[in-house]
Amino acid sequence: MRFQDAARDARAVVYAGIQADPLVARAAELLVTATHGQRILARAVMNGESTDPGAWRTMFPSLFDLAIGDDGRRVSSESILAAALAVADRGEQVRSQVRGAIVEELTARLLARRVEATSVRRERRILFDGVRAEIHPYDVTVERDSAPEAYDCKWGARGINADVLHQLDDARTHAGDEDERLVVGLVVFDAVRSCRVRLAAQTAPHAATEIVPIEGLDALAGRIG
Amino acid sequence: MPETLQPVVARALRAYANLVELGESIEDEWSYVNDLAGVWEFRLTEVADQRGAESVPAAVSAAVDRAIAEIGLIADPHRAIDWLSTFPQVVLLALDEAP
Repeated sequence: MRFQDAARDARAVVYAGIQADPLVARAAELLVTATHGQRILARAVMNGESTDPGAWRTMFPSLFDLAIGDDGRRVSSESILAAALAVADRGEQVRSQVRGAIVEELTARLLARRVEATSVRRERRILFDGVRAEIHPYDVTVERDSAPEAYDCKWGARGINADVLHQLDDARTHAGDEDERLVVGLVVFDAVRSCRVRLAAQTAPHAATEIVPIEGLDALAGRIG
Repeated sequence: MPETLQPVVARALRAYANLVELGESIEDEWSYVNDLAGVWEFRLTEVADQRGAESVPAAVSAAVDRAIAEIGLIADPHRAIDWLSTFPQVVLLALDEAP
């Protein structure tokens, strides 16, 4: 089993530009240390219609109302709100790409808190002897001799589909054929309850795939949420 | 005088039903939309059954009403499907409940 950079095709070049957008890094960094409630705020705003920050402050009293929350939380919530509104301000197609890139960057940054940062890589393929390589790269990988990991990332539970589940499980199985243990996971910036609904309708194998919902993101960093 | 939790959740569920209807227009996702709605409606109803008689602060009522207004702005069925998951999380967070 070995890791390899993804082909630099047109899609990869365009997407690399999205990933390099400073807003992606800014939002991801804020979300690394965010609470579960703040992550729901980001999810709502980044897919919302309202551009008035006051509307979102009203919607999340526990994050902004000093009578309910605390000042430290309010300050960080304001930063997350500003970044999320900047994402929402992009055109529909771009905001969708930026959201996806943020989930990937967040995943990478959380993993880098648990493992050696240099072992966390992006957009990598995994090659196995005698197996035709998958076209699509994995969003985030942890590349190390013992216990390598591969993750795909989705904005919402609706993004869970047969293709991604097969790709992850196939990689795990092929690694096993080479007597390697590859941890595979699907990071979903959505509630576990919604992920379960989506998974219940899937026949693709996923019992050995770690599903990381919005409530469980901190587990990527080795933190118990 | 603050209102109780039950009518707040009832308003949320009525608004949610409209969102479900919008999401159902994506035919390929009809089953997912309804399965998703069933699970979240159950969770919201469960909270109303357990805490329905509790008074809720005005800020919480306002939060839920603002969330209702937000989903009322949605016209795109794909966005509606995404909000079928997001809206209940927002409401439950306002009610100090785990999604």
